[in-house]
Amino acid sequence: MLPKFASVIAKTREEALSWLSSLENPRIIAGGTDLMVKMRAGKQYNHVIDVAGVPELLTLTETDEGLSLGPAITHARLSISEPIIRNARSLALACGLVGSPQIRNMGTIGGNLANASPAADSIPPLLIHDAVLVLESREARRRVPLEEVIVAPYVTSIDRKELLSSIEINPLRGYREGYRRVAKRATWAISRLGVAFAIREDKGRFADVKLAIGSCTPMPFRPKKVEDLLRGAEKSEVIITEAIRMALEEIKLISGIRPSYAYKLPVLQGILEEVLRG
Amino acid sequence: MKTISFVLNGKKTSIEVDDNETLLGALRERLGITSVKEGCGIGECGTCTVLVDDEPHYSCLTLASKANGRDIKTVEYLSSSGALHPLQEAFIKSGAVQCGYCTPGMLLCAYSLLLKNADPDARDIKEAISGNLCRCTGYIQIEEAIKNAAEICKCDR
Repeated sequence: MLPKFASVIAKTREEALSWLSSLENPRIIAGGTDLMVKMRAGKQYNHVIDVAGVPELLTLTETDEGLSLGPAITHARLSISEPIIRNARSLALACGLVGSPQIRNMGTIGGNLANASPAADSIPPLLIHDAVLVLESREARRRVPLEEVIVAPYVTSIDRKELLSSIEINPLRGYREGYRRVAKRATWAISRLGVAFAIREDKGRFADVKLAIGSCTPMPFRPKKVEDLLRGAEKSEVIITEAIRMALEEIKLISGIRPSYAYKLPVLQGILEEVLRG
Repeated sequence: MKTISFVLNGKKTSIEVDDNETLLGALRERLGITSVKEGCGIGECGTCTVLVDDEPHYSCLTLASKANGRDIKTVEYLSSSGALHPLQEAFIKSGAVQCGYCTPGMLLCAYSLLLKNADPDARDIKEAISGNLCRCTGYIQIEEAIKNAAEICKCDR
């Protein structure tokens, strides 16, 4: 049984914003795959605002500047979306690995971000695409990089009165891009390790490298010093070895030594070797 | 309370539901459809699977109000003509049913797969039922039944 709450179904963005501002202790619901589980475990909200059917939150637009993703778009839809496969392949791949078919048909990209799990599959790909979240309330509108929105595991800086109204990402074209993950089973499993990568090479050099690692540290992160080291460097075993050493050091610096690192770090090393060697 | 209207197994249906009621609860308690079951209640087992606009969803994690305006199918739909669906026949023939608890969810996921893909390979079939647990058969018989039903459905076209 779920705790008692009142629910409203928003038909427009305006309506959702107005309810967020006027209702006491509100919570946005879209797919419900995380929130329903939390409420069943006892989490109390006075009002639940369902935004899954709000047209403005379901649109995907592609412009010269980039892509804008409606946060209520499901993982299933993103995983087969042609503009996503073309501009952000790692995101399409990661969305296709989230949970199970049912979870992907229900769960949304916005919900995955707002839940802010260290193991969220969609977050590393969004990080390499420099995702910026548009957060709106009745009074204000702000644009915040995803990296700044997640402040701790399962904690974001999104205010209770704010609505995530879109996710803006930079397309990456001409990159070798993908998402690799390790989990206890091939499907319906929480990622124990997730790596999003986009690599552009030119005449034996790394022209540009973007990496994001999930499920290793409290929040998925981009090892930017490693990216800096590789950018412009000649592609060689020496530089790859050094880059991986730096990445592993950075993880240990962020989290200290954790029991799972006995297997995670060697596995991560293997994945990074494969990814960088290409 | 809210009044919701939706198509249930091909028939227009209107019911009153509580704000905090799940679709699973509404189907079982208000409409008497007990083929939809609560196994885990947290979206990890698939026994509560229903089709929403022909796509599998976990009804235990779905607010009942979300069904408004949608097409909802439970396993009863498959035999609504009076005869068993080829999938159901194939499940019987392959011994894909033991305790039966997972069967309605498995059948709905298989049905949804065949709507989109008339010629699924072993991998497609495994993927389609990957959100549903069976603790009896070991899956082999279920996969075989879906493969056989796909062949029969193809011949029927």
